[in-house]
Amino acid sequence: MIRYEIGIVDTRTVIKTLLDDFGYDFRDYALTSFKRRLEQVILNNGLRDAEGLIMRLKNNPEFIDQFLYEVTPETTEMFRDPSFWRLIRDEVLPEVSRGASSKPRIWLAAFDSGEELYSLAIILKEMNILNNVQIYCNVLSEKTINKIKSGRLDPKDIEVNEANYQRLNGTNKYSQYYTVDGNIYTFDSSLVENVTFLKQTPLIDNEPGAVKLILFRNQAIYYNQLLQEKMFSKLSEVSVAGGFLALGVKETLENTNANNKFTVFNDNEKLYKRKTV
Amino acid sequence: MFKAVIIGGSAGSFQVITRILHSLPPTFPLPVLLCLHRLKHVRSGFVEALSIKSSIPVIEPNDKEQIRPGKAYLAPANYHMYIELGNKIALSTEDPVNHSRPSIDLSFTTAAQVYREKLIGIILSGANRDGAYGLKKVKDLGGLTIVQDPEECQVRTMTEAALKLTPVDFVYNTNEIIKFLQKIKP
Repeated sequence: MIRYEIGIVDTRTVIKTLLDDFGYDFRDYALTSFKRRLEQVILNNGLRDAEGLIMRLKNNPEFIDQFLYEVTPETTEMFRDPSFWRLIRDEVLPEVSRGASSKPRIWLAAFDSGEELYSLAIILKEMNILNNVQIYCNVLSEKTINKIKSGRLDPKDIEVNEANYQRLNGTNKYSQYYTVDGNIYTFDSSLVENVTFLKQTPLIDNEPGAVKLILFRNQAIYYNQLLQEKMFSKLSEVSVAGGFLALGVKETLENTNANNKFTVFNDNEKLYKRKTV
Repeated sequence: MFKAVIIGGSAGSFQVITRILHSLPPTFPLPVLLCLHRLKHVRSGFVEALSIKSSIPVIEPNDKEQIRPGKAYLAPANYHMYIELGNKIALSTEDPVNHSRPSIDLSFTTAAQVYREKLIGIILSGANRDGAYGLKKVKDLGGLTIVQDPEECQVRTMTEAALKLTPVDFVYNTNEIIKFLQKIKP
């Protein structure tokens, strides 16, 4: 595992280029993981170092989308934390979809590579309510939108995903949601045909209003505490009273200003409920 | 003079860790960072098992938790655990490294960058090579490095890989590791 390591000064120079030349603000991303993401982009693209990355960004305007695609960590599993998804299916979605005059809104606010979205869509489909809700999905790059729409997710560890699905006690077979041709796995893209994709900046400035369920799992870990505060406050504003907010199981609203806007619905799964004002 | 101890282990390390945690004085002056390979889909039970005999509190930290002396921080299941500037834990769901998440290499590398010569890195029994590169980073940045004597290890792959890559400061059996840690003064 000998690899190029980018220093803090060079990291800040890249961050400055991204802000000055493209208007993308990564200044309050968590330093350690962001450094590692930059190293990954440099490695993937055969760039020698931070200077090589900056030259590529400046000289190839179309490279920025590839950069945004690669700088976002992949979601590595379908149905990560099956107990979380069981809770969503058995307690949260029935409440979210009940008695609404217009389609209840679900916002996948983390930068997901498709796995969270397809996991959610499969559960909704198995509950026969996929078409009764409106899903909004944040994306940072056009390439991610195309990938998700085509269903060509990276299959990753298919055994892990299969095992997660089984722990979920789904009603079908996991394998019925994709086709395999050689090494290429194509998920059933009709699952996501009614999803509205929201192209975002790193600070997520384009939010839908009046959301009943927000999935924001394992995104805040990539922020520093300042940006965490800002994002949690933003999420509390777009959530309807009684709406749900899901964080990653090791993320918490504790010790943040948003804490008094929510009650804990399930502490193990870090599921919160927006208080009635 | 030291600021933290970081310990990495995999197969065969549980009993060693248990003994170490049991033998530390309750007033141990440093934080103990634990990166141990574990089943990724089993979230509960491990920290409880380590706590039973430990003389210091064992915590599975949330993201951005402040690191404090006299506490042990266990890398949570299915997350990488980084040490961030400002003496905080930072978690990550990035791809596994060496087929491992948490990866010992990543915890050790990031701890070395923060604590530099004020870090003690210890590699215990284990069945893969994760940790060897991380221990090298600890050594390269001036930290003190210890490897459990492979003769004593249930599985020696991890300690041998570490020894192959780095001329470490000490090769110790469990009792010697414990004696070394007990002597650390604030």
